[in-house]
Amino acid sequence: MPLLEAKDLTHVFPNGTIAIRDISLQVHAGEFVIIAGANGSGKTVFIRHLNGLLVPTKGKVLIDGEPIAKNIAKARRKIGLIFQDSDSQIVGQTVAEDVAFGPENLNLPVPEVDRIVRETLETVGLSDLSSQSPHTLSGGQKRKLAVAGVLAMKPNIIMFDEPFTGLDYPGVVQVLQQLVQLHKAGHTIILVTHELEKVLAHADRLLIIHKGELVEDGKPEDVISRTENYGVRIPLKNGEEVGEVTWLR
Amino acid sequence: MAQVTFFHYIHKDTILHRMDGRLKLLCMLLLSLSASLASEWWHYLAPLALVAIALIIAKLPIIALLKDMKFFAIIILIVMVTNAFTIAGDPIPYFPFESVSMQGVITGLRFAGRLTLIIMVCTIVTGTTSLLTFKNVIEWYLRPIPFIPEVRVATMINLTFVLIPVIFDSYTEMMNAQKSRCVELRKNPIKRVNFIVFPLLSRTLRRTDEIIYAMESRCYSEIRTRAIFKTNKIDWLILTICVAVLFFVIL
Repeated sequence: MPLLEAKDLTHVFPNGTIAIRDISLQVHAGEFVIIAGANGSGKTVFIRHLNGLLVPTKGKVLIDGEPIAKNIAKARRKIGLIFQDSDSQIVGQTVAEDVAFGPENLNLPVPEVDRIVRETLETVGLSDLSSQSPHTLSGGQKRKLAVAGVLAMKPNIIMFDEPFTGLDYPGVVQVLQQLVQLHKAGHTIILVTHELEKVLAHADRLLIIHKGELVEDGKPEDVISRTENYGVRIPLKNGEEVGEVTWLR
Repeated sequence: MAQVTFFHYIHKDTILHRMDGRLKLLCMLLLSLSASLASEWWHYLAPLALVAIALIIAKLPIIALLKDMKFFAIIILIVMVTNAFTIAGDPIPYFPFESVSMQGVITGLRFAGRLTLIIMVCTIVTGTTSLLTFKNVIEWYLRPIPFIPEVRVATMINLTFVLIPVIFDSYTEMMNAQKSRCVELRKNPIKRVNFIVFPLLSRTLRRTDEIIYAMESRCYSEIRTRAIFKTNKIDWLILTICVAVLFFVIL
């Protein structure tokens, strides 16, 4: 049984614009899936349906075979979403307080919240900054904090929405290392990006959304030659294999 | 104002920093009340002494605080002068302004003293209490009041403080972007304000939407973990001293 399944998802905005149309998709445990597409293709709208932030006009999302609409809180615990703009995701006045936000929402006892915060900050390497204001962190550190905020909820699936946007080279490498570590630790990863050259080597599947429709879904080496038809640059240099396309050395 | 020490939390490890926030807020109210009710000059001695001791114990930067008092000096001066000119009484011999009375000057000094004391008390409390503690204390005090959603109120206060630096950053960025396109050459100040206010408002609302989505995706709930407060003997002792000061003033 797939861990996550979308069936005929369609979302129409109140002004009549069709954001996504009839998208069906299955994600299995432990997969690393990249969703690519040009700006405005509907990638963000699609993943926001996967943890119940948006309600589809038609279709449904299932997690472990159960519709997420039945228990939204459970779906959001299981599927963490890291937003494109980390500043929008940070709600705490200190790093530790922000990580505690999720566990506190789950009404966990204070000692357990403290333990989760300590462990999560250690995992992402932000323990030394726990009492700092998130506002003072660098772009890469803010992205790490956003990941920590989601990890504290102990999700099975972690979705990243354009995680490399606005980061310098060390920032991208930091985020990439974290992505690979999380995947190795057993998390299912769904990554939305159009910057395939930074990460493609680590993916098991590559999906392309074009004008709201899922137009490609397959192994990266099978799909990669057609990405430019949909406004996504082919990341391969002359003679390069898909397995070499990464900023991690 | 970013470098002003007033009303900013300064992280230290002192008795006052560790004090139970609920009692600290109560002490602030008691001392402010003492300062407001003081009628004789010697009444001010007890709260003043307590504030001085608290400043030393809290290890707050006293010189920086005194320098920053200049922001309040104008208000205090206005209070003093207004009282001196408006309260009727005996004229001051050899003083050039006849409308200034002795009683007015004394009342003005008294009000200035009260205001200074209250500002100092608030500075000590805010300087030794983190915003998170404040939020938890407000939530705790609002909890018994019916029909007030205390968690929502506390979350709103928290988000306000989170958003303020972000909005300031947006403002600076937009201002610089407009300066780079010579906005200063526009003579009409209303138009210049318009160029900033509407984009800033629209960006802030969009960001607020995103924050709501982010909070929802992390299971935001009003039934959430409650803060645990710890009260020790020293906290009770400090509260008792504040109560004693109030009695000293009113009796």
